[in-house]
Amino acid sequence: MASHSISNPEANSNRLPDSKRSKKRRRIATENQAGQLHNSSTENQTRWKSTSEQQIYSSRLVEALRQSRRTSSAPATGNGVRKTAYRVLAAAAKGRTRWSRAILTNGLRLRQQHKKKKVKVTGGIRSRKPVVKKRLPVLQRKVKVLGRLVPGCRKLSFPNLLEEATDYIAALEMQVRAMAALAGLFTRAEAEEADTSDRLGSNLS
Amino acid sequence: MLHCLNAPGNAAGNCTDMSVLERQRARTKWQEEQLIHQPPQPCYFEGNDQFNNGFSMLNQGQDFLNLMNSEMGHVVKVDPGLDNNGWQEFGQFGGEVLGLGSSGFVTGSGFELNYGISRTVSCPEDVAAAAAVEETAATETTQRESVSPEKMTSLVGRESFKKRKADKNQSLKAVAGEESREKRIKGCNEEDESKITEEYSNNSKNTTHNNNIKRETSADTSKDNSKVSEVQKPDYIHVRARRGQATDSHSLAERVRREKISERMKYLQDLVPGCNKITGKAGMLDEIINYVQSLQRQVEFLSMKLAAVNPSLDFNIDNFFAKEVFPGSTSNFPIGVQSEITNPAYLQFNPLQQLASCSGLEMGINNPDMALRRTISAPLSIPDTFLDSSCFDQIQTSSGWDGNLQNIYGMEFLQGRLTSFPGQQFTGSNEASNLKMEM
Repeated sequence: MASHSISNPEANSNRLPDSKRSKKRRRIATENQAGQLHNSSTENQTRWKSTSEQQIYSSRLVEALRQSRRTSSAPATGNGVRKTAYRVLAAAAKGRTRWSRAILTNGLRLRQQHKKKKVKVTGGIRSRKPVVKKRLPVLQRKVKVLGRLVPGCRKLSFPNLLEEATDYIAALEMQVRAMAALAGLFTRAEAEEADTSDRLGSNLS
Repeated sequence: MLHCLNAPGNAAGNCTDMSVLERQRARTKWQEEQLIHQPPQPCYFEGNDQFNNGFSMLNQGQDFLNLMNSEMGHVVKVDPGLDNNGWQEFGQFGGEVLGLGSSGFVTGSGFELNYGISRTVSCPEDVAAAAAVEETAATETTQRESVSPEKMTSLVGRESFKKRKADKNQSLKAVAGEESREKRIKGCNEEDESKITEEYSNNSKNTTHNNNIKRETSADTSKDNSKVSEVQKPDYIHVRARRGQATDSHSLAERVRREKISERMKYLQDLVPGCNKITGKAGMLDEIINYVQSLQRQVEFLSMKLAAVNPSLDFNIDNFFAKEVFPGSTSNFPIGVQSEITNPAYLQFNPLQQLASCSGLEMGINNPDMALRRTISAPLSIPDTFLDSSCFDQIQTSSGWDGNLQNIYGMEFLQGRLTSFPGQQFTGSNEASNLKMEM
């Protein structure tokens, strides 16, 4: 999609300076993110909570929906709308966070590595004693689950994952607010329209 | 994170030594600058009770010196024990570094001490700025943040200056000792202030720098080589061990990691509702996972709802933006789009919308209700080029629709106005006026 492809180079360009800088100097990634954490955490509250941000997101979402509906019929389904909504949200993040970049690059690249499931081929020796599957520590398991939930953060260290999750949660909250407002307006308007059309119809007849 | 602490020390050393030394050179340079123009350090002390407490506690310069010495000794000998009680009391403060810095500044005994104090004074700037989220006094932070860039430069300058002075072991100790309990990120000058001020209020005493210093003392040649003192340095997080805690690099690194994690968990706790009572990472993680899942489910549900509502998207959006939702939205709509740096696709605002309206018109023909809405929206926003006469023919052939249309627009609409409407471009004001006319 046009918006998708256009927004993607943006995200890429956002990423490139960072990688260059990190290669130049021996920057510790965590410290960079740690430095950002305070900013991001303080910004987060303001960035994703501001009503202006929400309005901007709503308008862009509507535009994207119209655009997508023009080009294909997919957005008529809930999944299409969902994908569009996530992409617009990731674009609103301006590529500063990992999950937003992951979402924006999702559509372009086939996620082949995720389609491949880890299949353990256990030979044919079934007569062996049932081997107790080694269970990761509880915390590790939960960290993995969280990594799967936040897009693009599967193999992230725990503190970075928490930071990404913070931003992701804030962004999701804003998205829910914006979409709820939009949906509520639509249903209300539909109700109004239905009323007016009924009234008109009754007037005519 | 661990590697950042250990690798500079343990890795094949010349480059790391060089970098550390370079850093220190830079610090000494900046300390020179720092000496030249005394920064407005008194600003630290304004309105902070903790500072006053710090003052009272560290009034004895002698104790402070002892403290520095002990810390230096601690640095060199990796001696966990610290003699001075003053430090311990500081450990109890939230803004302990601030107190330390301020008190040190007040006592100000001796050149070395001044350096140490000034350095510690500068550090609180960063600590305060970084701990702005956690600190209660907003005024402090505003002051700090305004001064923080200077402080950082001065801080690093001081460090470099100290390093130059400290070609001997003792000076090195002073340098190490004067890095007060904070985590400092070097090479911050090129970064934004906010990035620079990554000072945690979690104070750890022992610095990785100390480890580096030990290596430097052994490698004199590397010291000579590192003449270059650039401002841009590889970034290290300096950690100091707290009093009474293990000081080997592994536990330090572990502590740093743990503190990072706990800090971020705190942010998440604020974000996720209902996490206040839950302590422990596992429970918190459960809550976070549940919350993220619920949010994602909500988004799915809302997206399905929007998809169902979508046919009326075009018309209704115009309505909403004109009337209800966004009071200034008609101005916001293009502004919000054009002010964004990003998508040129979104900047194709007008033609897209008109295209969408036209397509919506065609799609909605079959449904009388939809067609009604289409006819209302189409004339407003579709220019001549997009107007498909066949669409309007279909509308006009339906008697029921004709009646409705006539009722809404008046008799002139079907007869003559159709041609005039498409000429109107979509603008907020036009939209509003047209809608008022319709309704």
